[in-house]
Amino acid sequence: MRKNSKLLALAVICLFTLAILAGCGGGEKGAAKKDDKYPSKPINVIVSYAAGGGTDVGARILLPYVEKELGVPLNVINKPGGGGWVGWTDLLKADPDGYTIGYINTPNLMTGYLDPQYKRDKTIDDFAVIANHVLDYGAIAINPKETRFKDLKELLEYAKKNEVTATTTGVGSDDHIAILKINKALGTKFVPVHTKGAAEGKASVMGGHVDTYFANVGEVLAPHKSGELKTIGVMAPERSEFFPDIPTLKEAGADVTSWSGRGLAAPKGIDPAKLEKLVAAFEKAMKNEEHIQKMKDMGLAPKFMKGEEYVKFLKDDEKGVIEVSDLLGWKK
Amino acid sequence: MLMLINFSALAHVAERLASLEVLLALLVGVVGGIIIGALPGLSATMGVALLIPLTFGMDPVAGLTMLTAIYTAAVYGGSISAILIHTPGTPASAATAMDGYQMTLQGKGLKALGTSTISSMIGGLISAIALLILAPPLALISLKFNAPEYFLMAVFGLTVIASLAQDSMIKGLASGCFGLLVGTVGVDIMTGFPRYTFGFSALEGGISLVPAMIGLFSLSQVMIQVEKMHEKGELVIGELKGSVLLTWQEFKNIWNTIWRSSIIGILIGILPGAGGDIASWVSYNEAKRFSKTPEKFGTGHMEGIAASEASNNAVTGGAIIPLLTLGIPGSATTAVLLGGLLIQGLLPGHELFEKHANITYAVIVGFIIANILIGLVGLAIARYVVKVSTIPSGILAPIIVVLSVVGSYAINNSMFDVYIMVVFGFIGYFMRKTGYVTAAVVLAMILGSMAEQGFRQSIVLSKGNMLAYYFSRPISIVIMVLIVLGLLSPILMKKWQNKSGIQTAATSDDN
Repeated sequence: MRKNSKLLALAVICLFTLAILAGCGGGEKGAAKKDDKYPSKPINVIVSYAAGGGTDVGARILLPYVEKELGVPLNVINKPGGGGWVGWTDLLKADPDGYTIGYINTPNLMTGYLDPQYKRDKTIDDFAVIANHVLDYGAIAINPKETRFKDLKELLEYAKKNEVTATTTGVGSDDHIAILKINKALGTKFVPVHTKGAAEGKASVMGGHVDTYFANVGEVLAPHKSGELKTIGVMAPERSEFFPDIPTLKEAGADVTSWSGRGLAAPKGIDPAKLEKLVAAFEKAMKNEEHIQKMKDMGLAPKFMKGEEYVKFLKDDEKGVIEVSDLLGWKK
Repeated sequence: MLMLINFSALAHVAERLASLEVLLALLVGVVGGIIIGALPGLSATMGVALLIPLTFGMDPVAGLTMLTAIYTAAVYGGSISAILIHTPGTPASAATAMDGYQMTLQGKGLKALGTSTISSMIGGLISAIALLILAPPLALISLKFNAPEYFLMAVFGLTVIASLAQDSMIKGLASGCFGLLVGTVGVDIMTGFPRYTFGFSALEGGISLVPAMIGLFSLSQVMIQVEKMHEKGELVIGELKGSVLLTWQEFKNIWNTIWRSSIIGILIGILPGAGGDIASWVSYNEAKRFSKTPEKFGTGHMEGIAASEASNNAVTGGAIIPLLTLGIPGSATTAVLLGGLLIQGLLPGHELFEKHANITYAVIVGFIIANILIGLVGLAIARYVVKVSTIPSGILAPIIVVLSVVGSYAINNSMFDVYIMVVFGFIGYFMRKTGYVTAAVVLAMILGSMAEQGFRQSIVLSKGNMLAYYFSRPISIVIMVLIVLGLLSPILMKKWQNKSGIQTAATSDDN
């Protein structure tokens, strides 16, 4: 008898848990009805990175201005993991009813499906792009106490003869690809040290353990200003507005550019009229001076692109990753 | 060392703490922690794991103050049920039950409560001050810590699993190995290869730590409680007379024990992984060794309570030191706290004491206040709190299940995390039933991936000469020495225990 009631109680607990799980699962997919007055309810914006990261911060600066244009709330939903692909998978699975959109980040999006190890079957073509928001160019910073090299030129010369360790935010990240491209172009011996994030890499260079900090302008600006790190090079086609005195790689003889782009997209299949509304609203918000100033204060350079221009940019990004796939050791 | 404390940040602490939200969080943390601790089966680790999701929307100071207050208050709360009904509320209070319950039987239950309250308060307070003084200089050194040091620290932490496994070494080590295996899930950061992900993108970042811990610590505990639901008889609480306050003479008698145990507690707290359950037994045995009247221990001796309670609360501040400075949890509960810190976007290390100094110092000072509050609140409500031990599991269990599900979901808005929580709930249940150690799994999950990353990064950094690289770094050498000592410590501890003939309770998931 006692044993029975024990089992019963356990069963009840299990049932209870399952019931809650079922409750959570339901209702995620609303029926895609025809909706003349779009948007008429809050829009979810999936950010595939954790709250407080660069993408999240940029999204939270921009979205209030979009809310003003659309007249409905835009909720940020952070879905970190899988180098961004947890959120992107969810975005692609969502109903294309215009009420779920999300940030897409390059080149992480591309490396995520071009790397055959992951066996992903979705590509950039499965997204209906809205607009690009941020274009954050790569940058190289060193420890201010570094004596072996003081500027970009010296660093590159030194690296041709000696192994120089360099941080990355992971295999296939823009930092990693930049390192490989520079090595290929100049015959330098940069050795990537993969870390879990920019903060870890920064601490490693500040502590003098890793020689160079490969990151983005948005990540080196604050430590450069505070004197924790010294930025010596920018991987942009021309000098960065944040670092007018610091040379580009091109000036130093390596025709290498690198960037991380962040924009918005909806799942493919969205009603073109709805997409048009979204593009118009985001365009107005992104061109708002106040928004631009707030982004610049964070070291994030806004770069609005839409339609054909944005698609071409993404396709170029994809091509760029394919070009280095042999350097990354990907076998098809 | 005092110079390294960021006084300008310290000066701003008052204004950060003097908000209604923070004060409320402090009070809720202390009272809630005492109750959680007093409930047999609900431990500090579980309390913190369950309440982390609540802190998402809170101001970081309020959220973290609440979590640390719950931690130390729950460790204290465990002594109440240990003393009055001979059921340690948390494993860390097992040693308290020995003398505490004897005192209750002799009609001195209130005096025993008073002893435990005062000792817990002072132990906690000393450790909180140690945290304030030791953490900033350590944080400064944290920049000197890199891949090799993290690898060695992780290995050092893993040796502690041996001391968590008090019942069966094989089972303890097996639990650790299981945790290491779980820790390998996710993208290999050096090659980008997705390991054991079975095609789930959600697994590429590894098994989510907080959901796994909620499963291992909370859900599994609910299952165990539910099983026992009908076994328990009526709890009889003896008649309580007299005063909870100690006389000056009584206080003087236990003072030496309190400070000695506090220092032991802080040191054991700083060691990665080792928590209050170990500290309380070590201090109890040490107090006995130093005592002029060792024969009185176990017969209702105030020094016994003081030793165990001062040290298990001293562990809390000690365990937070490596957490804030290096991101290495000093105990199972602080492993969970790490999740609470990261969720607020706060990375352990030097930035906590520079960029986020305002938050960090406010939390540390909040922790000091929490320990004082424990003393005041404890003296006032301890005798009533024991009544919560009689709350039927039928009411508690569903509440905990709901909190577990909601909490796991809320961290990453991910249903997948809820499944992870449930799976780990079942794993934890079967582990406990068969005597395996859930705390070892969590430790190995955290430290395993830390060790792997550190080792593989240092291969790159050493540029081909590993041995020379490790031995050229002074901090590495120090940690290597500690590892050797750490490996010997369980043997030494066993010797102590055998000498004094005390059997360690079958513990494990907690401090």
